[in-house]
Amino acid sequence: MKYAYFPGCKIAHHLPIHGRSVEAVCTRLGVELLRPEFNCCGYPVRHESRDASVYSALRNLALAENIGLDLMTPCKCCFGNLQQARHQAGQDEKLKQRMKDLLHEEGLEFPEKARVRHFLQILDDLPGGVVSAVSRPLKGLKIACHYGCHALRPENITHFDDPLAPTIFERLVAATGAAPLPWELRLECCGYPLRGRDENIADLLVAKKMAGASSSGADLLATACTYCQLQFGSENQKRPQTIPAVLFSTILGLALGLSPDEVGIKPGDVLTRFVV
Amino acid sequence: MDFFSIGLVLACASAGLGALWRMRGWFRRGAAMGRPEQGRPRPGILGFLGMLGGGLADLVLLRRTLRSPLRWTGHTLLILGFVPLIVLHAMDGVVTRPLFAGYEPTLDPWQFLRNLFGLFSVLGLPLLFLNRYMALKKFSRLQDWTLLAVVFGVLVSGFFLESFKIMSAGDFKRMTDDYFVDAEPEELISLKAYWARENGVRFREFLPTAPEMLELGAELHEDRCAGCHSPTSSAFVSRSMTALVPASLHIADQGRDLFWHVHVGLAFLGLALLPWGKFFHPVATGINLLSRGGSRATDTPKHTLARGLALDACTRCGQCSLHCSVAQAHRVLGNPDILPMDKLADLRRHLDDRLPPDRSAALVEGSHICTECLRCTQVCSAGIDLQDLWMASKKALTEAGRAGVDGEIRKRTAGEWARELASRDLGRVGGTGAGLADRAESFWGCVQCTTCTGVCPVVAVSEDPSRDLDLAPQQIMNLLRMGLKAQTLGARMVWSCTTCYKCQEHCPQGVPVADILYELRQLGAEILRKKEGRS
Repeated sequence: MKYAYFPGCKIAHHLPIHGRSVEAVCTRLGVELLRPEFNCCGYPVRHESRDASVYSALRNLALAENIGLDLMTPCKCCFGNLQQARHQAGQDEKLKQRMKDLLHEEGLEFPEKARVRHFLQILDDLPGGVVSAVSRPLKGLKIACHYGCHALRPENITHFDDPLAPTIFERLVAATGAAPLPWELRLECCGYPLRGRDENIADLLVAKKMAGASSSGADLLATACTYCQLQFGSENQKRPQTIPAVLFSTILGLALGLSPDEVGIKPGDVLTRFVV
Repeated sequence: MDFFSIGLVLACASAGLGALWRMRGWFRRGAAMGRPEQGRPRPGILGFLGMLGGGLADLVLLRRTLRSPLRWTGHTLLILGFVPLIVLHAMDGVVTRPLFAGYEPTLDPWQFLRNLFGLFSVLGLPLLFLNRYMALKKFSRLQDWTLLAVVFGVLVSGFFLESFKIMSAGDFKRMTDDYFVDAEPEELISLKAYWARENGVRFREFLPTAPEMLELGAELHEDRCAGCHSPTSSAFVSRSMTALVPASLHIADQGRDLFWHVHVGLAFLGLALLPWGKFFHPVATGINLLSRGGSRATDTPKHTLARGLALDACTRCGQCSLHCSVAQAHRVLGNPDILPMDKLADLRRHLDDRLPPDRSAALVEGSHICTECLRCTQVCSAGIDLQDLWMASKKALTEAGRAGVDGEIRKRTAGEWARELASRDLGRVGGTGAGLADRAESFWGCVQCTTCTGVCPVVAVSEDPSRDLDLAPQQIMNLLRMGLKAQTLGARMVWSCTTCYKCQEHCPQGVPVADILYELRQLGAEILRKKEGRS
């Protein structure tokens, strides 16, 4: 299997271990990643301008279509916006024409075919499933899954999973040998979109979510989105830790037998005690 | 005081004072960026040597320009030739003569090397010109072209100067007057004949071609001249160029004087301009590359001076803007400060308090549209840690009350915005005609059931929604249904929506609540852009 890998903007500087663990897991599972020079998915600029956002997204899809591949991203906000852009251009003929013109100026065609896939969907689609590749089951590890809004909703545009009762994340966590726990706030927003805009509410949202995840009895909170992990990880380091947040790519990497270093875990990390 | 002395003094004064002024800027701007957060701890001895090696590899091998082979080749040729010319030729009195016993500019290898170095440089320039024209034309300003032109002028006039000197009978006479005072007329004629034939000097008079005369000339040359003068053919470019001047034209002396003034004058102009604008990049970029030690990340130890230096090291090569991950936003919105190269220039002016207010709004917008993807830092051929500059400047702008559209909206209450905006025609969103917020179909299903408000995570965490959010989602939908769009645009709810789409997903009537909130935000941003005269 081969995909055009779309890491999104935040990985390179703000969360390099996300990229590292995703790439290591894909290599181990035989998923080949190609790396065209993509641009921003258009999610961040959607607050300022619809055209700028849709055009940014469509250009990436056009680049993927150019090399005849579907696009894979480990970020749910990127995933959501790439899906949104295609939907919006499909709804509005004038917008679509403007986008076509902009793309033509760069020698690109309006993308019709290239699909957008999230990392979790790629794993879920693997022939034989992830479970057959797990060599070091994470027995005894209890995990609260965090879904991430922009992949989940609006479902009629993102086509990710059932927006009210999704199961894909829990299925994949179970495949690693760990136990996914039910958790009331798993479908709620992490609050990162308000960073730099309304810090107060962003802080309140993260505190509420961490407390909720903690009271579920889980050992850790699993994320599968760059922004969610930034919110629960880096941004959350300022306050007392209730429950550690870990990227699912890291958890899966360990279950696949990768070394802690390959999935970006430092010595002494909370996860290491489950994989000895 | 002659032309040379006056020129040298003026050029040195300009270069010296300007360089001091530039370095003062490194401290001032660096300090104005705010206190740097500590990056990686300072490296040990081995780490330092590694950094030095990385920096030298960037500086000497021009590793970072390899992305464009044309640029790398052009730059390498230019530097390979130009630097030795400055050190060994322009500064021969203070460098070459003391270092090499018996140095004479007319002796080989110097005479040969001068042509060779000049040839390298002059071959490199068209490549740089071509690269700028083909890849970077839209980023280029007058001073980018001027720099190329001045260097080209110095090099070409140097070749012509040497060429006319070779042909100059006046120079020949000056030399024989000085070093051959006891010359017999016949000796002088045979020496002239030899030099005309072997070294390309052009005399007006008829000169003998008899072998014995030439032989005498050759003997005299060996005896009196060769010790200080290599055959002019070793200046292979200049000597070949003598063929460009027809034999019937006796303009060698005038040409020599003309090109001497042009060559020396342009060299002084270059020296005088060195600290100003782009001309300074060989200095600032060189130091910056060394200080970055080969790093393409934002993890090196930072201090205010390093930031000030980084702000000065841009060569305006445009790589950052070509690879910027939000370049599409620039194409749609047209604000040049979205792209790193222009943003850097405006940030510098901002730190110097020289940025006009309309540009200042553009800088704020550009700063906030940047996604901090690190790519500009990774591709920067001058090794500038742009990522660090953007993160620091965004923070400083926010602290100064310039936090982008969100920040501007939050400076006033929803009521104040409503009063201001009510007078405007807000019926049209962008250039697309009626938006969701203008269409009755968007809302007619709304039964004010408050499900959207009930599921909203922002409403849920707010202790006092009417204080924190002004309006709840269903209230916004209701106002829009009544056509009161202006009343909603400044509401905190619009700007503190996390865009999680729960409201929309849960709405039993299919009202696109989140899409509408997005649209209101985009409209607010557009109105602010227009208000600041930027669209």
